[in-house]
Amino acid sequence: MAEAYPVLHEPWLVGSKSPAQVTEDVCSTMERKPTAVWWIGLAVSLFFLGVGVVAVTYQIATGIGTWGLNNTVGWAFDITNFVFWIGIGHAGTLISAILFLFRQRWRTSVNRSAEAMTIFAVICAGIFPVIHMGRPWLAFWMFPYPNYRGPLWINFRSPLVWDAFAISTYFTISLVFWYLGLIPDLATVRDRTQSGWRRKLAGVLCLGWNSSYRTWQRYETVYMLLAGLATPLVVSVHTIVSWDFATAVIPGWHTTIFPPYFVAGAIFSGMAMVLTLMLVARKAMGLEDFITQRHVGAMCKIVLATSGIVALAYATEFFTAFYSGNPYEQFAFWNRAFGPMGWGYWIMVSCNIVIPQLLWSRRVRSSFVAVFVIAILVNVGMWFERFVIIVTSLHRDFLPSNWMSYTPTIIELATLAGSFGLFFTCFLLFCRFVPVIAIAEVKGILRHDQRHEAPRAHTLAGHAPAPATALRGSAEEVHP
Amino acid sequence: MNLHQAEFNLSPELTRLFSVFVLLGVAVMLVGLGMAPERVWPSLLLVSYFVLGMGLAAVVFIALQYVTNGAWGVAIRRVPEAMTVFILAGALGLAVVFLAHRSLYSWTAAAHDAGNTAAWFKRFWLTWPFFLARAVVYLLVWIAFARAIARNSQLQDRDGDVAYTHRNARLSALFLVVFGITLWLASYDWLMSLEPEWFSTIFGMYSFSGLFASGIAAIIIFAVALQKLGPLEGILREDHLHDLGKLLFAFSTFWAYIWFCQYMLIWYTDIPEETGYFVKRMQGTWRPLFLLNFMLNWTVPFLALLPRATKRTPSLLVKVAVIVLLGRWLDLYLIILPPFMGHKPSFGAWEFGLMLGAIGASALLFFRALRRAAPVPMRDPWLSDSLHHHQ
Repeated sequence: MAEAYPVLHEPWLVGSKSPAQVTEDVCSTMERKPTAVWWIGLAVSLFFLGVGVVAVTYQIATGIGTWGLNNTVGWAFDITNFVFWIGIGHAGTLISAILFLFRQRWRTSVNRSAEAMTIFAVICAGIFPVIHMGRPWLAFWMFPYPNYRGPLWINFRSPLVWDAFAISTYFTISLVFWYLGLIPDLATVRDRTQSGWRRKLAGVLCLGWNSSYRTWQRYETVYMLLAGLATPLVVSVHTIVSWDFATAVIPGWHTTIFPPYFVAGAIFSGMAMVLTLMLVARKAMGLEDFITQRHVGAMCKIVLATSGIVALAYATEFFTAFYSGNPYEQFAFWNRAFGPMGWGYWIMVSCNIVIPQLLWSRRVRSSFVAVFVIAILVNVGMWFERFVIIVTSLHRDFLPSNWMSYTPTIIELATLAGSFGLFFTCFLLFCRFVPVIAIAEVKGILRHDQRHEAPRAHTLAGHAPAPATALRGSAEEVHP
Repeated sequence: MNLHQAEFNLSPELTRLFSVFVLLGVAVMLVGLGMAPERVWPSLLLVSYFVLGMGLAAVVFIALQYVTNGAWGVAIRRVPEAMTVFILAGALGLAVVFLAHRSLYSWTAAAHDAGNTAAWFKRFWLTWPFFLARAVVYLLVWIAFARAIARNSQLQDRDGDVAYTHRNARLSALFLVVFGITLWLASYDWLMSLEPEWFSTIFGMYSFSGLFASGIAAIIIFAVALQKLGPLEGILREDHLHDLGKLLFAFSTFWAYIWFCQYMLIWYTDIPEETGYFVKRMQGTWRPLFLLNFMLNWTVPFLALLPRATKRTPSLLVKVAVIVLLGRWLDLYLIILPPFMGHKPSFGAWEFGLMLGAIGASALLFFRALRRAAPVPMRDPWLSDSLHHHQ
């Protein structure tokens, strides 16, 4: 039976690394001088961030009349970007919390960056509703507290308010979870660094971590509890985002499948973004041994599965519109595919459904270039999905006299570019200053590598080989 | 424990007990068809769909294990493999309902939606021959996949060829795609069209969530029973139960999520053509049942399964699984029966008899199907992992 394993498994990590080597490999990338590629990336990101800052400053100073909105299309580019970025964040929490609860060992190589990505994506997302308020300096009015404005309370029945709570909770938990996971690694950074501000900072941030058994035990408990708390948040945040639309009575917005469909779409786009970032990071940071074929393959399969769920949701919506016998529903969907903005719909269908089907092929999954291109196209498709849902449902109103079109202005495009600038600036800085791979967690899946030598060492020392260790590790970890 | 024990015979007492259940069920059904056909036909649809759903959930469970390389479940895989027999049993029940009592579906009477020109698609979709043809396709496809996957697994017992594992992984992936589409459409056809004027896009997902949660509950009950009765003794470990318990927890919560999303969005928007469905189910004495449904399917399993100990104690876990199955029955009752019962739900000999019959038939069929192969897939390459599975 044992000879079957090589056929069924590829190793998670390349090479039999010792724990010390893992620390060395991950930490040395931060200790070296940054590469030229990193500097170029940072320069480009900062440029776009600058463009975004100028655009946002201008639109706040002038007002949101600088956008292409009109009476009929009252939500368009801005909310599309908001939903897009919120969606991106979801894969991070899926990997860090849900896959942790499911004991998926492959998450250890990608969870740190995926969680960082979540935090940056939520920051990018948060900007848009704040700008959309028109008077962002009054954003604190979103919070319910006794006030002298009447007192004027927020509408607790509005999904927009639920959004504010859901997203701020999500951001807080994601940040705490990410930081908690970082603590043992920050202690590693502290211990490796000789002196200077880096050692001091890491020393403060790792909260005096001493690696004792008791510390680890507490750490593991808190980690599991936070994973349990973060799990419903993955689902609830995008569910509530979908309610922003589904609680309306607009055909194309109000449909009961929206919550699970949005969550699946979010994980779809988020996982594609993780793939994009990881494929770049493994090359740029020399992490080929840690992010292997098998990680990429696993993530591709998640992308493929969620693409299938999203496809089923598209089909359900279209089918049910016709099944319903409601002429407005039917028109909304017909118009979505064959109306003046039908091109958006077909971009969405090709990028989200047709192209990901290539991932069925093992050859495509093992070509990093192909996966990279597909992952980017998936994110193009998911951006268009939100655009299609938001804009095409609005631009043809119940009354034909209200029919309008929508084109984004240069300011809106610049804001979107700016959000990408912000996202990549944050991510590049993260790659430089924080261990991109969860060192302590990756060491947890190294066990099998030592096992090759372990029985021999035991025999030499006169001990019987420990069967418990052999049983503990699952076959997943057996090296060919 | 003997891995090679191929024959497992249910004790005569249990066989007799389940046979009595079946006889009672059949007798109640036959009497009921004369005395209270308006209650027996919908109930027959209910139990048939219930049993069919458990069989489908079993195939989904096996397929998920194959596509995710989930090694842990291999040792107990013969349980869901034997459960696939429920697809055929459920299909027979559905065939009886469809062929003998089509008027259960009000749209089969002429001139539904006659004045509405926008209902052309619904009129086309809900035509009787087309409806039957679709049902035949769904059922045949499911049976074919279930058979093929179970057969490969049994063939592997002979030579231990890894090719069977790969072949089943491919079949499983294909099955999951086909299943997604067919279950969605089948639940529209068989359940949602009982009230042809009502529609909800989440209905397929809702139908899946309950189906899968109840399937996991049934796997738990059968696996623990086999542990007690012998074949899985020493094989089914606490760690397997822990994983099954986690899945039950996860999918019970998934059901609650989908249930809430459907209810919340329809309540919030308050569009008359959608709210009718819930109005019917929340009026009068329906209301306590409506709330009980949520308790049985989610509140109780959620609270009970939170502690680690429940998931690792067979007797407790089985109790929770029974509650989930009762909840599933109630959920289907609330989906199917309100259009036939008006203001007051009723539960009496007819419903209970059919339920008993379904339990007896399921148990007998399951233990019979189990004898087709060794109780453990002995030469599956993952078996040793599964036997030594640790959390």
